[in-house]
Amino acid sequence: MRQALHIFKKDVRHLWLELAVAITVVAAFGFTGARRASWLADPVTNRTAAWTMVLILLPLSWWTVIARVIHGETLPGDRQFWITRPYSWKSLLGAKALFVLAFINLPMFLADIAIVRAYGLHPLGAELPGLLWSQVLLTIVFVLPVAALSALTGGFVQLILAILAPCVIGLAVAIALPEVVLGGFWGGSEWIRAYYVFLVISLAAPVIVVWQYSTRRTAAARFLAVAAAMLAVLGIAPIPWSAAFKIQSWFSKRSVEQSLAHVDFDSSGSWLTRVVMERGDRVRVELPLNVTPLPSGMSAKPEGFSVQLEAPDGAKWHSDQVLVRDPSDMGQEFSLSATVDGAFYKKVKDQPIRVRGSLYLTIFGNRRTARVPLGDQLVPVPRVGVCAASGRANRQSYFLGCSSAFRFPAVLVSYRFIQSTSEGNEDVWTSAEPRPISYSPFPAEPGIIPVSQDFTFSIPRVSSSEARVDTVEPLAYIQRNFEIDNLRLGDFQRDATPVSP
Amino acid sequence: MTDILRTINLSKWFRKTVALDHLNMVVPEHSVYAFVGPNGAGKTTTIKILMNACQASEGVAQVFGHDSRKLCPDDFAEIGYVSENQQMPEWMTVECFMNYLRPFYPRWDVARAEELLQQFELPHDRKIRNLSQGMRMKAALASSLAYRPRLIVLDEPFTGLDALVRDELIGGVLECAEGATILISSHDLSDVESFASHIGYLDHGRLQFSEEMKSLAERFREIEVTPANPLQSPASLPMAWLSAEQSAAVVRFVDSQFDQERTVAEVHRLFGKTDQISVNPMPLRAIFVTLAKAGRKAG
Repeated sequence: MRQALHIFKKDVRHLWLELAVAITVVAAFGFTGARRASWLADPVTNRTAAWTMVLILLPLSWWTVIARVIHGETLPGDRQFWITRPYSWKSLLGAKALFVLAFINLPMFLADIAIVRAYGLHPLGAELPGLLWSQVLLTIVFVLPVAALSALTGGFVQLILAILAPCVIGLAVAIALPEVVLGGFWGGSEWIRAYYVFLVISLAAPVIVVWQYSTRRTAAARFLAVAAAMLAVLGIAPIPWSAAFKIQSWFSKRSVEQSLAHVDFDSSGSWLTRVVMERGDRVRVELPLNVTPLPSGMSAKPEGFSVQLEAPDGAKWHSDQVLVRDPSDMGQEFSLSATVDGAFYKKVKDQPIRVRGSLYLTIFGNRRTARVPLGDQLVPVPRVGVCAASGRANRQSYFLGCSSAFRFPAVLVSYRFIQSTSEGNEDVWTSAEPRPISYSPFPAEPGIIPVSQDFTFSIPRVSSSEARVDTVEPLAYIQRNFEIDNLRLGDFQRDATPVSP
Repeated sequence: MTDILRTINLSKWFRKTVALDHLNMVVPEHSVYAFVGPNGAGKTTTIKILMNACQASEGVAQVFGHDSRKLCPDDFAEIGYVSENQQMPEWMTVECFMNYLRPFYPRWDVARAEELLQQFELPHDRKIRNLSQGMRMKAALASSLAYRPRLIVLDEPFTGLDALVRDELIGGVLECAEGATILISSHDLSDVESFASHIGYLDHGRLQFSEEMKSLAERFREIEVTPANPLQSPASLPMAWLSAEQSAAVVRFVDSQFDQERTVAEVHRLFGKTDQISVNPMPLRAIFVTLAKAGRKAG
């Protein structure tokens, strides 16, 4: 420990200038971020240019500090003075870790507290898990990768090349094979892909760093780094979205009996069945589905589906899990839309086929409503954070803003402006469909800005007396199978465009 | 005398280039071991493996009887290592460098460190990046002698230095290294011949010989033979006879295994009757040149 502190003090003396810059940038981040809390009341505080500059400089200053402190005792090579001195690798690594904690994590921790408090939230109370988790994410996203690369390189130029080379290769692969690198969009479960990468980083980077400090076997460590990078980028590509949804289902808060939320062909809405000819020898098949019954206060949102069409002669066409991109479908009726190969369609369109499939649903419920009186005062809103509503002097327009700490709320949020009359309350304006959310169970999202905000404006016909914030939370993530027999697709063909023979 | 350094079948190759080829070397305790050989012979590689700065491809290197791969901070606290191309903390002043290193060494002698700085005329407040090559070597040496190491390893410490600085460094090392074992590598024999007690000669990664300086000087002789019948020259000469050349009347060679009786008997056996045999002792430099030439020819 004594040796670690001795090396730490040496690094502080050596890198005072870099530290001064990094701490100034974090201070500017804390100050500007806190001032922005009141930008609606005082637009002067909305220094967008300064804020943008700080957000760019912040990671750059961290990376400079990390690289410089690790390169203070370069690990690759055999000419450094320190490798033949009585350095304990544990002390050396401890000194570097202490340096990062003291000059990156701690200042950012304090800046986050300042910003979150300025928004009227409680960073050391209800938001403490988010504050702590954001530090974990900061370490995984901003510290560990650069620390590992710095441990594998002998200087700044090598480090820049080590960062640029995989970026260029990744870009080339992304251009050539976008589906391999980027994969499909996983909607609310997108966080699983991000956390997969975080998992690879948080396992590989410490192993690389510890391996380098304990053995300085740079070639082997570099090989490990390349393998980890490939695993992070390409490892998730073969995983189907349905597997991610299964992982998501582990986080269900409530179990839903199989008898509930049964999915079936909506025979009453069979007129909604459509077969539309598309370009490129493809056919879009739309089938109305019904989810029934759902208990009161619950609603279902389709996340994705898989479907298989089976002809009487045994011919089959299968669509892999496809995500439903339109988040507006909430309720009991859904329209499943699948693109079918034109040749297959042509072959089976006049035959009675069987449709088998699975629908992946998120069940929402447990609705809560919070009142936010007009008047600019901050009101705590459970699950969201704090909200404030205001009306213009002429009562022609209304504004509602909500702030959440460390992540956008993990609930669907909708807003209303209310007029209270002697007969009761009347909605004078209701917000559009809620913003899509991440189903991540973690209390913080990766990123630098510790507060996320959501605003809504309205110009209602009549004056409002208060705003209300409605939230419903995701309760369960379920899969339901369905089967439709004797469906003759040709009967539903709507487009006259012929399929090319 | 126990062995402070030892290599057993030590080999190192860089892709297809063999830098060390089954090197077996022993450096006895309290010796001043001159590790000589031409540039690229593998001296620095050997030393780096001994210091655990790089890994051997095969074989074992031992320091203080331990595998060099397992050298711990306590071992390094007993070793003073100075190399011509060592990367130093350029931003530190000489004094800052010495103060920084002090807590690493339990036996650091503050008074001795100050003496060394005075002796080497090192400016306390000058940054290492602003020191000349000679000054840098002095600073490295001062920082490696201030804790009375048991083992001092100097890798080509005199390269690029003028004679005056070289003598100062040698003087400094010998003065402070009482009781220590010294391994000093050099491609120039004259750097080390005046004070080495042992010598090892490395060429193409192979140790050609390793022995006490005294026995080496006794073992090598330049022989000049004037055969009675110059036309009667032997088909081949013994392996130990190096750099053989023949002029009209005289045959010259270096006997690397000189023994008065045996050598003379061998000359008579090969050349028959001779008019004259002259046996001359050789300076170390001449031995070195002879070995280097013989090695190249063999290679």
